[in-house]
Amino acid sequence: MGSVTAIFTAENRIHPAAEAILQEAISQGWSDPTKLHHSSRRLAQLLSEAQASFSRSLQIPAESIHFLGEPTLGFHLGANGFASSGETYLPATSRQEAFAAISSRQTQTLPVDIQGEWAVPAGEREDLLIIQTVNLETGAICPDASHFQGDLFVDSTSDPLGKIPKNWSAALWDSVSWQGPRGLGIFALKDHTRWTNPLPHNDHRVVPGGANPALVIASAVALEASIAERRTSQDKLQEFNSYIRSYITSEIGDVDIASPINAAPHLLSFSFLYVQAEQLVDDMEKRGFSIDSGSACISANIEASHVLAAMGRLTHGNIRLRLYPSTTREDIEGLLINLKDLVEDQRRSL
Amino acid sequence: MKVVDARGKLCPQPIIDLAVEVRNSNSGEILQLLSDDPATWADLQAWSRMTGHLSRQVNSATFEVEV
Repeated sequence: MGSVTAIFTAENRIHPAAEAILQEAISQGWSDPTKLHHSSRRLAQLLSEAQASFSRSLQIPAESIHFLGEPTLGFHLGANGFASSGETYLPATSRQEAFAAISSRQTQTLPVDIQGEWAVPAGEREDLLIIQTVNLETGAICPDASHFQGDLFVDSTSDPLGKIPKNWSAALWDSVSWQGPRGLGIFALKDHTRWTNPLPHNDHRVVPGGANPALVIASAVALEASIAERRTSQDKLQEFNSYIRSYITSEIGDVDIASPINAAPHLLSFSFLYVQAEQLVDDMEKRGFSIDSGSACISANIEASHVLAAMGRLTHGNIRLRLYPSTTREDIEGLLINLKDLVEDQRRSL
Repeated sequence: MKVVDARGKLCPQPIIDLAVEVRNSNSGEILQLLSDDPATWADLQAWSRMTGHLSRQVNSATFEVEV
């Protein structure tokens, strides 16, 4: 297998700025920040600075931030910590982790149309709405949920720049989405009074175990760098996104583009008719291009993407791309030429 | 009615088998597709939208398509 030269997958190498600081953070992050030794106080100071950095980057109050050693745990905290008497609403294109986390509440799955759009219910005070700021697969942006009357749990695990509505109650981010170190989530809670910890607990802490301090510090650095790069590369990514859409439609054809035209520019999902995604992903990897797919044949649970199925999009032959600030025009050209070649190759047997 | 038996085959093969048969059929003909792949109905609806054909689900493993 050849070496990968261009990464278009949801996960990428840790950001160089974070990698540079990670080793130093591990050296300094061995002590217990709650104790009074010199090293503990020093670490507590670094963590406080990291928390302030996250607060600035994500535009949420520092005191609302809690670090998770397991990001997926945040779905449980957000879905099950609010009043249990009402309905839980979530769109059909929500993450599987959100569906899996809901335990005892009455749940209404909100239907989506072919563009991934859905109607935000008015809700009542005891209800919960789980939204995704930016859909992880398609990049579809969440509709305005500011009129929802109940609690709002915001899944922002796909994009640190996703817009958090003013009426948010809880929110979740994943360090991987900004090329921070893996194994760190950020759970934010706006108001503790309406939330009860659904985890076994014996004190006021939201997350008893916390997270590795070295990962927190390195992730804060990655986030600052990543946001700065994203802001300056938005136009470039939008141009690449438009170019890919145009190329796969006119030069390859028989393609179903699941990402709405106004989706986040760094995410793009499309499916080629009569193409087996597993083979396509393998062949692309051999040619140096790392890509994802939501098709059943390469899914861990052997089921096609529920997002594509809910939207009525083609589920086979699916390709998911994530464009990075570091993605170059040369990467895109190489990706498209090889996709065209391999798709045509598979369709020859038709 | 022509029958395309794709039982036991996984996506995208049932849709490929169907498309080959559609090519060899006359406009207005009805084809029956047999497929037990759980993704078939979702993909058949998407295929119908993309190619301009009408399709319907008869039961969980039987589908009809108008060429």
